[in-house]
Amino acid sequence: MSHYEEVKVHGYDEFCKAVSERKGNDIFAYFSDCVKAEPVVRGVMSHLPEGSVFFYCQVGERPYWKDPNNEFKKTLKLSGVPTLIRYGTPQKLVEEECFKADLVRMMFTED
Amino acid sequence: MSNLGHTCWLCLLWSHYQHCPIEIEWHGIWFVTGTFDYDLVVIGGGSGGLACSKEAAQLGQKVAVLDYVEPSVKGTKWGIGGTCVNVGCIPKKLMHQAALLGTALKDAQKYGWQIPGPISHDWSTMAEAVQNHVRSLNWGHRVQLQDKEVKYLNVKGSLLDEHTVKGLTRTGKETMLTAKNIVIATGGRPKYPTHIPGAVEHGITSDDIFWLKESPGKTLVVGASYVALECAGFLTGIGLETTVMVRSIPLRGFDQQMAGLVTDYMEAYGTKFSWRSVPKSVDKLSSGVLQVTWTDEQTGKDQRDTFDSVLWAVGRAPETKTLGLEKVGVKLNKESGKILVAADESTSVPNIYAFGDIGEGRPELTPTAIKAGKLLARRLAGRTNELMNYDNVATTVFTPLEYGCVGLSEEEAESRHGKDSIEVYHAFYKPLEFTVAERDASQCYIKVVCKRGGDQRILGLHFTGPNAGEVTQGFAMGFQCGATLTHLKETVGIHPTCAEELTKVNVSKRSGLDATVTGC
Repeated sequence: MSHYEEVKVHGYDEFCKAVSERKGNDIFAYFSDCVKAEPVVRGVMSHLPEGSVFFYCQVGERPYWKDPNNEFKKTLKLSGVPTLIRYGTPQKLVEEECFKADLVRMMFTED
Repeated sequence: MSNLGHTCWLCLLWSHYQHCPIEIEWHGIWFVTGTFDYDLVVIGGGSGGLACSKEAAQLGQKVAVLDYVEPSVKGTKWGIGGTCVNVGCIPKKLMHQAALLGTALKDAQKYGWQIPGPISHDWSTMAEAVQNHVRSLNWGHRVQLQDKEVKYLNVKGSLLDEHTVKGLTRTGKETMLTAKNIVIATGGRPKYPTHIPGAVEHGITSDDIFWLKESPGKTLVVGASYVALECAGFLTGIGLETTVMVRSIPLRGFDQQMAGLVTDYMEAYGTKFSWRSVPKSVDKLSSGVLQVTWTDEQTGKDQRDTFDSVLWAVGRAPETKTLGLEKVGVKLNKESGKILVAADESTSVPNIYAFGDIGEGRPELTPTAIKAGKLLARRLAGRTNELMNYDNVATTVFTPLEYGCVGLSEEEAESRHGKDSIEVYHAFYKPLEFTVAERDASQCYIKVVCKRGGDQRILGLHFTGPNAGEVTQGFAMGFQCGATLTHLKETVGIHPTCAEELTKVNVSKRSGLDATVTGC
């Protein structure tokens, strides 16, 4: 039994609904336009804090993502994919930063 | 016999001297073999320390940076980045902006904006936004350090000997690091006037103001430094009843005529000033408010008033007490307590360097610390011999009416060159934006202090007005290039701006003529 909950969501509305159902938890969210799970992040998941929630969120098709007014860009302020955030904190890793295991581990283990 | 930590060759244990039966001369037998843990250990993760460590790492050095924030008396603490990021420049400028926006909202109505009701400010909204931005900067630094392979340790560093640093965690755990070179960039912290009863228990400092979750309310700011005036300025600007208590002169070290214009504007805009006043005591009343008693030095009488908060801005003290400097032989300036440094930032101990606010005689500014740090890293890596140039550094005071300057004050120029050898050109101007807004521009002023004769080299340039920092920056480059009044006059102004008035300055103080700019 893993010490964190993994939730797969598709699209902005599904993401927001799932987050609101888990208020009070330490929430990490990985936004990607790929279906394939990111191996670097996967490899570090054992470092996630006890009781945390890890969202794997697909942002949608390319045309949707390219639209500068899509909700991920407008409301969550995502600038690129993939992006890894610690929800409710300024902690985030963008694009190439997500492929660096030491940075991902730092986010999972930081206070 | 020294009691420094060392590796005892007899028992091959790391421990203190006392157990060893044979006295070994410590100095001089240090590892010439070069088996240090790090090429460079930097104590202090502020503007200077971070710039130095990142630069060194980029040049291939093995670097560690130690950063630790001793909580303030009120318990405030913060992440990596030092004073500038957490309790200085950054939050200050953001809160100053919040205050300026309040003034802009008032002006907006004259420009046609229909604003329905009375405008009020919510401290918590502003504080949260500012604090979140600061946290994102803390995170950004963490990512950069990790990315550039700088080892970051959240420990309180101190020197055991000239190549050994001890790190202490919050919980008291010890770490030892050895380094070829050690850099001290621990900066400073606000002083408390400990001789005033109640000052420590009931007052706050700039370490606390930016992290308050709730409004400080009616505030007394004690001091007349730029910290005091900037804080009092934005507190007034967001609608809080604020008083500044000044013992003698405002902005000591700055051009006094300009300092007067800054405080005149603040008084006209609602900040109360208690001149020639010295606080005597601070008491907390049963209602929770603070009662401050002070002596009015002009009348000799004591006065009393109540405030919700008392902010001490009476100077900053260097962070050297717990570094173990005396033991290792790093010499300090007796008066200031700062570390004595040479032009290459070296201290009295060969491989130990110090720079930033901690260095004696150095400007207490972020850009100089950053540049000095980078150059130091380059020199230590053997890439350059270039020394930091601390001359001609431009600065700006972000009071409600901003004041930007580069070079000498008028009094400094007079003192160095003699009143007869200088020519001071000046102008009172009115920013165009103030006209429709019906704002008083009496303190918007420009002063160019020049060497008399020939092309009249510019010795100092002073500007009060909106966006003074933006205006001054460009002129600072000209100053660095040895600009003369001729150069200034040959420069065509951009119209309509406030900055262009600098290129049009032509009335000298000596002439006694009216210096008010008229017309277009």
